[in-house]
Order: sequence, then C-alpha cells, then structure tokens
Amino acid sequence: MQQPQAQRSPSPKPKKKIRVPRVVNGVEQMVEIEVDADAGPGWGPNDKHTLLNHRYTRVDGPLKVAGMARYTYDQRLPGMLYARILRCPHAHARVTSMDTDAASKIPGVKAIIPAPLSELRFAGAPVAAVAATTPEIAGDAVRAIKVNYEVLPHVVHAAAAIRPDAPKVLAEEDNLKEAAKNGDPQKAEAAFATADAIVEGEYISQRVHHACLETHGMVVDYRGGDTATLYASTQGTFTIAGDAAKELGLTETAVTVSVEHMGGGFGSKFGLGLEGLLACRLSKQTSTPVKLMFTRYDEFVMAGNRSGSWQKLKAGVKKDGTIVALNARQYRLGGLGPGSQAGQPYIYRMGDTYREIYALHTNEDSSIAMRAPGHPQASFAVESLMDELAYKIKMDPVEFRKKNLRDEVYHRQLERAAQEIGWARRNPIAGGNAGPLKRGMGCAVGVWGGGGNNQCKVDVTISRDGSVVVAVGTQDLGTGTRTYTRAIVAEELGLTVKDVKERIGNSKLGAANPSGGSTTAASLSPSVKDAAIKARVMMAERVAPLLGNPKPEEVVFSGGNVSANGKSLSWKQATASLPAAGMTSHGEWRADLQSRGIHGACFAEVEVDVETGHVKPIKMVHIQDGGLPLNRLTMESQINGGMIQSLGMALWEGRVMDAHLGMMLNPGFGDYKLPGSLEMPELVPLIDDDDKREAVIGIAEGCIIPAVGALVNAVFNACGVRVRELPVTPDKILMGLSKGTQITQI
Amino acid sequence: MTKSRDEHNPGRRKFLKGVGIAGAGAAIADHLRVETEAQEKQGATATLSGNVKITLDVNGAARDVQVEPRTTLLNALRNHLEPAVTGPKLVCDAGTCGACTVLLDGKPAYSCLVLAVDAVNRKITTVEGLGSPESPNAVQAAFVEHDALMCGFCTPGFVTTISAYLEKNPNPSLDEVREACKGNFCRCGTYPRVFEAALAAAKSTAG
Repeated sequence: MQQPQAQRSPSPKPKKKIRVPRVVNGVEQMVEIEVDADAGPGWGPNDKHTLLNHRYTRVDGPLKVAGMARYTYDQRLPGMLYARILRCPHAHARVTSMDTDAASKIPGVKAIIPAPLSELRFAGAPVAAVAATTPEIAGDAVRAIKVNYEVLPHVVHAAAAIRPDAPKVLAEEDNLKEAAKNGDPQKAEAAFATADAIVEGEYISQRVHHACLETHGMVVDYRGGDTATLYASTQGTFTIAGDAAKELGLTETAVTVSVEHMGGGFGSKFGLGLEGLLACRLSKQTSTPVKLMFTRYDEFVMAGNRSGSWQKLKAGVKKDGTIVALNARQYRLGGLGPGSQAGQPYIYRMGDTYREIYALHTNEDSSIAMRAPGHPQASFAVESLMDELAYKIKMDPVEFRKKNLRDEVYHRQLERAAQEIGWARRNPIAGGNAGPLKRGMGCAVGVWGGGGNNQCKVDVTISRDGSVVVAVGTQDLGTGTRTYTRAIVAEELGLTVKDVKERIGNSKLGAANPSGGSTTAASLSPSVKDAAIKARVMMAERVAPLLGNPKPEEVVFSGGNVSANGKSLSWKQATASLPAAGMTSHGEWRADLQSRGIHGACFAEVEVDVETGHVKPIKMVHIQDGGLPLNRLTMESQINGGMIQSLGMALWEGRVMDAHLGMMLNPGFGDYKLPGSLEMPELVPLIDDDDKREAVIGIAEGCIIPAVGALVNAVFNACGVRVRELPVTPDKILMGLSKGTQITQI
Repeated sequence: MTKSRDEHNPGRRKFLKGVGIAGAGAAIADHLRVETEAQEKQGATATLSGNVKITLDVNGAARDVQVEPRTTLLNALRNHLEPAVTGPKLVCDAGTCGACTVLLDGKPAYSCLVLAVDAVNRKITTVEGLGSPESPNAVQAAFVEHDALMCGFCTPGFVTTISAYLEKNPNPSLDEVREACKGNFCRCGTYPRVFEAALAAAKSTAG
C-alpha cells in the first residue's frame, strides 16, 4: 500500500543525555544514556496521590503469613535430587588426590563432581559436589569422600597480611595493592599547621555477613530435553540464564528463570554463582532436577560478606569548627576480592584532603556487595572522627556537622531528628551522667544515589472482564516491589490495589534490572507508570464514543468509574467495550519520573553499664528523604530494617577468624550474633516530607549508612570510651574504662 | 539396601541427628516398635535404619510417610510429605533461628530439632494450619496489617510462635511479646512491627 512519506515518518523526538547508574554484581557504576527530552505527564504533586505516598499493605502479605508463598527453597519437583558441597578445611591448599569410591557406593548417591577450582585459597572453598535422593544421604556422601591436600601457607588477619614476609594470598597480585590516590599530600600537610586541634585515629570495621535467611541456591529443572527452568533465590532474574545455558548446553532462550518469592539478598545474590554452576552440572549429568541450597555453614563461609575496613585518619580543625585538613589511608579488607570502601572524607568538607586507598588481601572468601557497599564503613570512621573533633574543640556534635556540611537538607534533617530523640537532654560531658547505667546520644548522616536506568519493560493488560494485570520480570526481595507495581497501575486507572494483579519474577516476562544499588524503584516504577498512562489513554479512546467523545485527557478514572461529560461508566462497563483479546500497553522507562541523590540522618541513644560493659540501645531515629514515597508503610519498614542491621554491625556481629587454622570460628547463628527481639530499642522511622521532588528514588541503602556511627558516638557520650574497632563489645568498653585510652586492635 | 548401608556404617551413627537429642532415642524406639519395617527384620534392638513408615498428624490430617529414622520433622514435612508442607522454613538447621517453628500438641517446637519419628502420635500444627490467605487467624491478619514482614522467610516461625503465646497469655505486655519471640530471628529488621502486630492481635481477640 502506498503511503505519503511525510505523514508516515514521525518527527524525531528531541533527546538529551543524562548519567544513570548501572549495577554490576550489586555495585553501581555511572553510565551516560540518551533519553527523550519531552517525556509526557508526570506523577503530580506528592500530596495529591490517592494510593502512592499513602500506607497500604503488602499484596504478598496474606500468602507469606500463611506459609503459602513459594520460595526457591520450597520447590520440590518429581524425582528431584538434593545436592551438598564438600568444602576445604584449609585456608590455602591444593587437592592432591580425591577418592569418591566409598561415597559413590552409598545407596541414593547419584552423582559426584569436582568443583572447578584448582587452588583453594580460603577455608570453605568448594572441593566437590554430590547429588543424592535426600539431603541426609548427600551429607553422608560428602563425609565419605576422602581428600588429600597439600597444605600451603595462609594469612587471614589484615595486620599480618600487610607484612612483607606474609604468605602471598593471590598468585597474580601482592597482598597490598594501591587502588587510588587523591589530593595533594604537601598541601594537606601544610594545612595541618593552621589547625587549632588535631585528631588522629585508626578505625576498623569487621566482616559482617548478609545472613539472608533463605540461603543462596537454586533448583535446576533439567530432564535431558531442550529446555530448562531454574528456580533461583536471586536479586537478578535476568542475571542467570546466560551462564546456566552454557553449563546445560542449551540456548539462552531455552532457559527460564523463576523467582517468585525470595528470602533476602542484601546485595549478595546475583548471577549463577558457583552454587548454580554446580547445580547445573549435577542436573545435566543426571538429567534430573537438582536442588542445591547452601547450608547455613556454606552461607557463612562462601556466600559473601561485607568488606572489612582499616582506616587511618588524621584531621585538623580550627576552634570555630572549620576542618582544615584530612589525611586518610584506607585499607579495603575484601579477602580474595578487592573489597569496597567509599573515599574519605565521605560527605564532609574537610579543607585540604589527601587519601590513599588500598586493597589488602587475606585468605578469606571475597567480600561482595552488601547494602550500600563501602558506605557504612566509611561513615562509621568519619562520623567517629567528626565526633572526636567536636569534643576536642568543645562544640556540639550537631552544630559541628552543620558547620561542615554544605547541603541544607542535612541541616533540616539533623534538626528534626535531634528534636525527635530529645538531643537537648544529652549531657555534653562524655560519661558525665551519674550511676553505673550511663546514657548517651550520638548522631551521623549519610548519602546515597538511588537513581534508575532504562532497563525495565512493563506490560499492562486489561481484559474484557475488567481484570488488570501488570507484568514485568522484576523480583521482590521483600522491598515491596510487587505491591507498588500494582498500586501505580491501580492509581492511574482509578482502581484499588486489589483490582490489579501483578506477574513478576520470571525471565520470560519483560526485562528488568537486577536489584542492586537501590536502583529498582527508580528503574521499575517509571516504566510501570508509563505503561499505566498508556493503558489509561487507550481505555479513554476506547470508551470515548460511550461518553460523548471526550479527548483522552478529559476522561476521569476515579473510584472504579470512568467518566466524562457528565456521563459515567463502571470499570466493568468500560472494559466490556474492549475487543475479545483485551488490550495491552507497553511501558518504557522515563528519566523524568525518577531522580537520584538522597540524604539521611540518624540519632541514637544508648545505655552503657560501666560495671559490665554491656550496651543497651534505647532509642534510634532515622530521617530519610527519597522523593515520592511509593508506599509509606513499606518505606518505614525499610528504614527500620536499616537501623536494625546497623545495630548488628555496631554492637554484635562479626566474623571471627582463627589465625592458625585460618578458618571462621563462628559460622552459625549460635555464635554469630544477629540482632534479636530482646535487644530492640524504640525505633522511629521518619520520612522527610520536606523533599518535594516529584520523582521516585530508591532508599533501601541510604537508611543503613549513618546508624553505626550514631551508635558508636552514643556509646562515647554515655561512658567516655571511644571504641574505634567494631563491634563495640563489652570487653572493649571495659578495657577502655580501665585504661582510659582509645581501643584499637588489628 | 540395609546391608549396603551397614557396610559404610552410617545407620547407627546417623540414627540421631545430634548429640543434644540423644536422650530421645529410647522413647522413639519404643513407639516405633510396632510401626517400622526395619524393626521386623532386625529384631528388638534400638538400632533403626533404612526407611520407616510412620503416620504424622499434620494440621488435623493423618499423613503417611516413609523416612529414615534420622530425618527431622522439618525435613519430613518439606521433603517427604506428598504434597509438601513448606510453611516451616529451613534456615539454620540447628535450633537457633526459629524459622521452622511448629506446634507440637499446641506448644512451639523447632521442627529441625525434632525427629519425625518422635512426632508420631503428636498433634503437629504448622503455620498453614493456623489460617489461610483467605481466612487468616488474628496474628496472621495483624502481621499483614502492620507490615510485620519484609522478605517473609522468618514470618511463618514468628506467626506460629506468637499464635501459641497468645493462647497462653491473651493480654501480653510489650516486654512479654519480646520475650516470647526471642527464639526467632528476622534479618530484614521487622521486629518493631512484629511486636505491634502481636499486641494488635491480642487486642483484636480480647474483645
């Protein structure tokens, strides 16, 4: 058919370039992309929503509370085998021989395969994997495999690994590797001469574990045919199929990945992983579905951890509170990996600054991304330093922070949270309160990006019976993704959350980004909104003849009705006009519906028993901005979660490594102390509604950053002991009280 | 099969899952005397191996299942019952986290520390037996209402523990609720809302 050229080709839309985050293995990197300059209708003012920015309950809540939500760990397929992993007991070794004869003769054992590592560089490295008819029998087989090791020298503590004669951890790299140098050391040194006071300290943060309650793992459903389905506990539905297909000898499109519900990730679950690789190989070899879920021990020794840090900081300050110079030497303690740590002076202005950052390797499994990779570590150190500087010049810590923070948002957040916790009650003299139970308060601030990227493709389908389905392959980690995905569509169409159903967690649905760097909300919700707006316009056009032919923007979708020109249709009457196949709109990401750059401030009050060294958290307040809150109820839950996980890092948690054996001494919940119900302080999550940005921003990571510093500073204010090494355990406090000195060990 | 297993001798060694529950052995052997196939072959000894056929009373239904004697109640529910009962979660497998909590004759127990064969003749209630998505009990409804869950993996354990506690103490204080669920871990950080939900559930059933 002939068509006039001029009418067919759309006029090119004006474009603009923006920088957005792209997440690789949970860590965000900035890239430049091109987007439409003129994008369409926005969210409107934050106080004009009917569902968003309100409190509405989680749509998967009813299933989860009844035990009916199906997680990867709950998958059980016909004839499915259970896999277990044999792990190396040495921190550094080579396998010289392996005898699987006895193991393979155990009834029920179906396959034993070697792990693809030649040199084992941490205790717990996988040596072999077994598939058997029950997990108990797989465990028998693991114990029956006889392995001879050539044991090699190892080092697991940073202070030992940095010595010139230390055993070499990696073949291709020295234990100490310079990562970055910034600033002019001479200028910083000269600026110190102008300071009225100088504080110098070494701050050490421990290796903290994600401790996801659902361990890492997958169920690989391959039965020898042309296709396979993987059920994975993952933060990235679309990060698995490619590598799985290679292992299974299939095309990528033949592999489907399903993530219906998942039991926590916190940055640790991306990609196929070694566990997925082993599961694929076992399934391939047996042509049988294989379930490989890590045991809790596996999870502790191989599922990753938060990079440790060792930071030597020196700062100079003037009497008026102006910081004039900083010299920072930062070691990232990432085990075999590079580790992560934000550069100092983090978010403060500190005059002339100079920093060196190094990776310092040990024979431990690599650290991986964990909720705000590198940030709580940097924040803990600089917030401790800030506190020490404030005390040195006898300035209120809140005023001192405001003095050295340019961004006004922090000023208002510090004031609001100070009021909430009752900062005026605080005794400015550290340890100055009477009696053995001494209370104190501390504060800190944090920053995060939380912007999105153009990775999500969303379909909204409206059927003739009135049902509405929003579909996209994204995953819900417990962050409420399912719930706001529904709500955005429901609000746009004037329906309730119950009127819309969502389909997520499947790689055959529309593409979605991996959930890292708090990028999901800002990547997904603009695409959902775009699809919802298009669905609304399509519906408006469809029903126009029934409503006196209004323009699409004149049709009102509200309260389950579609109306214009004084005429009104119920939703069902409106959708009855659709064709038999219903109608589907496709949503793409829009940069203008999201933003990046968030602020948070945390205040903590603790009580220290100076006779036992016991720290009891009393109250915590965290205020967080984040543009348009998609759901106030779940946002508050995430802020609570950030504070609680920080409590663990500040006071209780930490991997303990034995120098001689080179192994972790506390790989279980009996010895690795997670925050529990008895330790919970009063928690106050505040949403900063003074943030008027009409844009979605991810907040999950922002709200874990400042609390550790706030807690450590509260301990100092309470008892006068500055503990510079996490966690702040009673022994360190008692040592500090007895010596009256700062506690640092490494 | 039994012979082959004995050659590698995992049968006796693995008869009991852990040292801490070794004392339960005699009692288990007693009530299995009439029920095990293995028993007939081996005569009247306390050593059981191979598969034993047992009947478990799960959420009011008699469920026949064959398990090795060392199989925990948790693994029997999840890996052997057909269809599976997967509300109770396997998280630590060591009695430290509470995610596998079930009720045995109405009292909370870590099902990872109970052998399936020791749960015979006891009333086993899992979270699925407390209510359904369509018809939740007061605790389940309050958990949804107060957003007392995020990833939800610890939730069945908390719901089960608190449901049992409110039966015992229908009008608890905040401190009593904290104490009641000190054997349950949550990693996402839902504790404050778990407490709120428990107190709200108590209030809703009191009236």
